[in-house]
Amino acid sequence: MTHNLLPLSLLANGQIAVIRQVMGTPEHVHRLHEMGLRGGAEIEMMQSGSPCIIRLDGHKLCFRDDEATRVLVEMGAVA
Amino acid sequence: MATIAETKDFAIRQATIALVGNPNTGKSTLFGALAGIRQRVGNYPGVTVEKKLGQMNHAGRKFQLIDLPGTYSLAPRSLDEMVAVDVLLGRRGDVSPVDAVICIVDASNLERNLYLVSQVLAMGLPTVIALNMMDVARTRGLAIDVDRLSRQLGVTVVPIEAHRRRGLDDLKQAVLAALDQPVAGRPSPFPEQFESEVDALAALSSTTAAAPRYLTERLLLDTTGYLAHELTHGDQRAAGQIAAARQRLADAGLPVPAVEAMARYGWVAQTLAGVVSRPSQRPVTLSDRIDRVLTHRVWGTLFFALVMLAMFQSVFVWAGPAMDWIDGLMGAAGEMIGAWLPEGPLRSLLIDGVIGGFGSVLVFLPQIFILFFFISVLEDCGYMARAAFLMDKLMSRVGLSGKSFIPLLSSFACAVPGVMATRVIENRRDRLTTILVAPLMSCSARLPVYTVLIAAFIPDRAWLAGVLSLQGLTLTAMYLLGIVVAVGMAILLKRSLLKGPTPPFVMELPSYKLPSPGTVLHRMADRGWAFVRRAGTLIVAVSIVVWALLYFPRSEAVTQPLADRLAATKAEMNLPDLTTEQLTHLRAEAAALDREFSGIQQRQSYLGRMGRFIEPVVRPLGWDWRIGCAVIASFPAREVVVATLGVIYNLGSELDVAADADRTQLAAALQQAKWDDSERPVYNVPVALSIMVFFALCAQCAATLAVIRRETNSWFWPTFTFVYMTSLAYLAALVTYQVGIRLAS
Repeated sequence: MTHNLLPLSLLANGQIAVIRQVMGTPEHVHRLHEMGLRGGAEIEMMQSGSPCIIRLDGHKLCFRDDEATRVLVEMGAVA
Repeated sequence: MATIAETKDFAIRQATIALVGNPNTGKSTLFGALAGIRQRVGNYPGVTVEKKLGQMNHAGRKFQLIDLPGTYSLAPRSLDEMVAVDVLLGRRGDVSPVDAVICIVDASNLERNLYLVSQVLAMGLPTVIALNMMDVARTRGLAIDVDRLSRQLGVTVVPIEAHRRRGLDDLKQAVLAALDQPVAGRPSPFPEQFESEVDALAALSSTTAAAPRYLTERLLLDTTGYLAHELTHGDQRAAGQIAAARQRLADAGLPVPAVEAMARYGWVAQTLAGVVSRPSQRPVTLSDRIDRVLTHRVWGTLFFALVMLAMFQSVFVWAGPAMDWIDGLMGAAGEMIGAWLPEGPLRSLLIDGVIGGFGSVLVFLPQIFILFFFISVLEDCGYMARAAFLMDKLMSRVGLSGKSFIPLLSSFACAVPGVMATRVIENRRDRLTTILVAPLMSCSARLPVYTVLIAAFIPDRAWLAGVLSLQGLTLTAMYLLGIVVAVGMAILLKRSLLKGPTPPFVMELPSYKLPSPGTVLHRMADRGWAFVRRAGTLIVAVSIVVWALLYFPRSEAVTQPLADRLAATKAEMNLPDLTTEQLTHLRAEAAALDREFSGIQQRQSYLGRMGRFIEPVVRPLGWDWRIGCAVIASFPAREVVVATLGVIYNLGSELDVAADADRTQLAAALQQAKWDDSERPVYNVPVALSIMVFFALCAQCAATLAVIRRETNSWFWPTFTFVYMTSLAYLAALVTYQVGIRLAS
């Protein structure tokens, strides 16, 4: 199964995608997991840029997508 | 070890209930609703975490409530994060062991909230879930099958609406029931292989065997090395074992720490099966519509600027009269004491030392109240997180995050509430950096110093039809100096003393809601009281010390002739048949003698001697011993320097720099001041600039240092702040004067 993965920061406002991979040091990735940024979660871009605002589990998170942590997503909603 | 029978006997011992939950779930509201006004806030020693205790009554029994800091996860990676885990596991001596847990959960975001629930359940304590924000969930079209959730979790779930105080009795009843029931065995969400590795770790040594299982799990999961240091004290053999265990798990496709998220979110998915039904179309909420404007790069930033402007206008406009009123009150109190106490050290101590000290504590209160009124309203309605979002780009260039912006901005009014406002910054290094540079922002106490010196020495030149004035530019330069140094200092601190990996910046934006007056008032009162109690004692103590240095030693030989003349003048005033003119003249004469008396006394006091002693040190800055004196005397509060200079130049300490007449009077006195050994004027433009630069950067504020001591819970950081700021101030003043003198000649 191949995914067309792209960094979260490339999403435009209103686009919906599914998180496929959170990259970074294990420690940082773990923190993001705890906040709900995990594989399989559906997100919607609310305000693109750095930091950006995304919707996740019906809540809004402000997130700085930088070199330290990269979130890779796949376009489209959770099937 | 207490036996089960003993610990369960609550007739003897009050049961202790801990309150845990994610941030923004209404935990503080619930705590307030359960404990009412019976709350105590303290500090855990050695950490910056607040200890919030309360008392709850139900069915004729009393319970102790502990509010633990809001967190997304019980995965301690620092001393501060360890507090909550230690309290829950009964490992803290200063808190009685926890008998039951209320875990507050946001009904509109069960997935993430249940992650924390999964960890709480692993502690093996009687647990009740308080399902809050049911109303929000309903408006979002979510339907939650509470009974099914309760069955699948294996603990009681009570739907509540904390801000409306709904469901609280059911919640208390559920806690009571949970206390008396044995805790059912809870299956671990982790795969078997992980569990057997934990077993092996537990058998490793006597320390790990004695540790609760939850901590042994964490030891395996924590890759930061914090827990290894805490539990095994850097034991090499243990470190080798843990590394080997992690390797085996990674080979089996269960890498640490990711295995925790896999396992817990897997468990969450199972637990929520068939519990939540969502609408096919997500309704657009009011919050979304507001956010479209308020988080917009242009409109949002504009709105934010307006909010900030309103906030500072209010601080300056409203705090002024209140501060004057407090000053008046203190003056009246002084007069009252003066009326029934004879002249002497005790009277002076009470009036100038104690009341003066209290006055300088209380005078901060209006600013603290007004600033925290705004901050609490903005926080409570959910806007603060948006402000941090908007300012993050700017702040990340300095190595901080958007959360540092408001505290730094507040510090332009006063560093005391500014430092207190840093509590919203979870990251310890970011918070410390913000605290350490906050006092560099030019606060309102520096204004009188700038005003007097600028009026006296900076030529009144203007260009571009009066838009650009040299005096205005000088004032702006002082503000910019503070900002530039703060930026440099922040970068420096983040690269040296407070070096560490930048944590990912993730922040929740809570839904907008109307601020609750109760929460706002409580926050204001709490901050004000905390300042009075903790910082106040230190400020009063310092004021008394400075008073003593100014009052002693009394040398009758020097002051006697003056005292005699003063007594004679006062006696003359009591003569009968004086015309109004004569009386006015005599009064003025008495006042002048009084001022001269204070001036002479000050020059020969310990402080005056100290001023002379440090003259060689301050000479390179272009200062004479009098300025040195004034700088020492103004250690408790910068603005004191104006009053001290007033006393030194025999103008009395009651100068009001806001009044033009007084300002010109002091300015004239400064312009006429001469060095003791020559006819050379003390003050010129380079000297004035060097004093201003010194006051722009120095740490001459006991209140700020006391608050830093309180907020960091250590003596090291306030000491560090004082040393670095004073050294910087000295160096900058030195450079300013030396360069200025060379330019002038």
